[in-house]
Amino acid sequence: MTGRTVIYNARVIDPASGLDEKGGVLIENGLIVEAGAGITKTTAADLKIDAKGKALAPGLIDLRVKTGEPGAENKETLQTASDAAAAGGVTTFVVMPDTDPVIDSVALVDFIQRRAEGVAKVKVLPAGGLTLGLDGAKMSEIGLIKEAGAVFFTNGDKPVEDAGVLRRAMSYAASFDALVASRPDTPALSKNTVMNAGAFAARLGLRGTPPEAEWIALARDLMLAETTGVRLLADCISTGRSLGAVERARKSGVKVACSVASYSLFFNELDVGDYLTYCKVQPPFRKEEDRMALLDGLKRGAIDAVVSAHDPQPTEDKRLPIADAAFGAVGLETLLTALLSLALREEIPLATALKPVTSGPADLLGLPQGRLAKGAPADLVLFDPAAPWACDRDDLTSRSKNSPFDGRKLEGRVLRTWVNGATVFERG
Amino acid sequence: MADYAFPHRHLLGIEGLNRLDIETLLALGDRYVELNRSRVKHADVLAGRTLVNLFFENSTRTQGSFEIAGRRLGADVVTMPIATSSVKKGETLIDTAMTLNAMRPDLLVIRHGSSGAVKLLSRKVDGAVINAGDGTHEHPTQALLDALTIRRRVGDISGLRIAICGDILHSRVARSNVACLNLLGAEVRLIAPRTLTPPGAAEWGAEVFTDMRKGLDGCDVVMMLRLQQERMDGAYLPSAREFFHFYGLDAEKLDHAKPNAFVMHPGPMNRGVEIESGIADHKTRSLITEQVEMGVAVRMAVLETLAKNAPDIGAKN
Repeated sequence: MTGRTVIYNARVIDPASGLDEKGGVLIENGLIVEAGAGITKTTAADLKIDAKGKALAPGLIDLRVKTGEPGAENKETLQTASDAAAAGGVTTFVVMPDTDPVIDSVALVDFIQRRAEGVAKVKVLPAGGLTLGLDGAKMSEIGLIKEAGAVFFTNGDKPVEDAGVLRRAMSYAASFDALVASRPDTPALSKNTVMNAGAFAARLGLRGTPPEAEWIALARDLMLAETTGVRLLADCISTGRSLGAVERARKSGVKVACSVASYSLFFNELDVGDYLTYCKVQPPFRKEEDRMALLDGLKRGAIDAVVSAHDPQPTEDKRLPIADAAFGAVGLETLLTALLSLALREEIPLATALKPVTSGPADLLGLPQGRLAKGAPADLVLFDPAAPWACDRDDLTSRSKNSPFDGRKLEGRVLRTWVNGATVFERG
Repeated sequence: MADYAFPHRHLLGIEGLNRLDIETLLALGDRYVELNRSRVKHADVLAGRTLVNLFFENSTRTQGSFEIAGRRLGADVVTMPIATSSVKKGETLIDTAMTLNAMRPDLLVIRHGSSGAVKLLSRKVDGAVINAGDGTHEHPTQALLDALTIRRRVGDISGLRIAICGDILHSRVARSNVACLNLLGAEVRLIAPRTLTPPGAAEWGAEVFTDMRKGLDGCDVVMMLRLQQERMDGAYLPSAREFFHFYGLDAEKLDHAKPNAFVMHPGPMNRGVEIESGIADHKTRSLITEQVEMGVAVRMAVLETLAKNAPDIGAKN
């Protein structure tokens, strides 16, 4: 977009600098020229947009999204996912490599980039498979795939069980300063489980994933990160003890960051209730004390990234007895609103609550966006931070509707989303 | 009590029932025991109504018990051989339910191998649903028949000390029985090795024991459970022999319970694994065949009670 655009009369929030003040943002050629109190209605521009006092922040960056493309387009495509992202205020997202085929080669990274360029309204960044076919046995061409544009490497939801393979892959990745993401899980403890292990699961007659499944794998990953020197992202941790382990490792010099799924901050195991398959996710909703510990981490800035863990599943894979139902929840459209609801209810400053969806993940990946800095891309979201609404899955933009937020009352709504200064979503 | 209106549309579990609900069903069950012991075992309270037995898991005694109960009440009883039919052709559970629902059954008796599956189905059909066992969750009619058996043979359940022993982890019978016996005021004990004790079982309102002899101390009733080897996808026990040694009910271990304590088992039994044959067949102390008899009576009570609450399917449209 050429010409100058000014968005004025806004509450401007920039988590990177801690800015939260009345003002505006001046955009030229898709880049931010200036943001803050100095930008007003009188700032010279070709197009002037009145934000009507609503909040204006950097567009969200989501580090964990699955679509069904390639291989399962009935679940979601890059296009439908990007539409959902725009509606949710997400302007950049990373797609996970666990597709069919797996994104484990330069050609497939290229495929994702080209597809996204053609159909996606928002920025789509591919993550590469850490091992070929995610088989957990042979490492992929990490160096070449990184050059091709993969932003990190991960085995997705298929943890590398062989510690020797993981150690070598981390070691090799460290030579290229590649980021390795690992969702800590021990399949021997989590296979055939449905929800968090404990008294509630036992009462429902359901098999539970004990938190040890996460702790054991995380302890291993942290040790290997320490000895190999790789940059590690502990992906989707779900317990207070895991967060403690990450913080201790970080303090002792391990290059580790962590992400938490937004649903882990919002729900606990009791929300599975009457066998609600939309609440069947990996890692599962944990105990309330875990949720509180993670929320505390959010307030302290200990969580580097909050992710949607967007994982679309069609009705036919969810409308089943819970043991047979697929794992996963859509989340692109509820990521921001979940954080806004929590910020309101828990009295968390917005700049703090939004850091792990803006500058936090941007810094991890070395991206210029995710901040209201001069010269940064004008990826922006305008939202009403307290507008109440009820989530109805049928109103979701995603091709799949498996949202645990269905029927929930939430606060905070996206009004308008810009990518490189161009409007990609506007609530009618 | 005769005028008590049972306030539930379905019977999905003991959880959700109150003491009066249970006592109402047991009182009606008592009456049906008498009918079942008379020469003409027939009542017409379900004449013209259709009962469909939907067993996604194989069963002999529960399925047969519901069939007999339905027929004795005059219902048209149809048993769908689901395990061998459409489900294997890839039809989903919900589609099967919708198809059957279109045939307008008044009562659906459902057993399914997945916890929560019967509840899922109950949301999709118009008739009354009776849970005949869902995964490792609940088996409410078994708990009711056990309560009826104890009430008739041992007396008022309130204040009795009752031990449930064996494979509690995989047992829907144990879950329903703990809930039912607690509501009726019994002191419930669970006896099992740690690997077969569900996490948090101590929070169920029962005392948990790993030593069978200590657990049986002073018990009025000993309920044994079947070791469900088919649900064990890993090693929960080193061997059946070791299990019998520590947790199998034999005369010596039974001596730790009250003199003349009664023995129960929901069947089918693994003789020599969880229970010694001499105990299972004991003429005065074993209530195992009586449990089967009470099963028919209690299911008649459940069917009649739910049929009263069932919408008049025939009058629809």
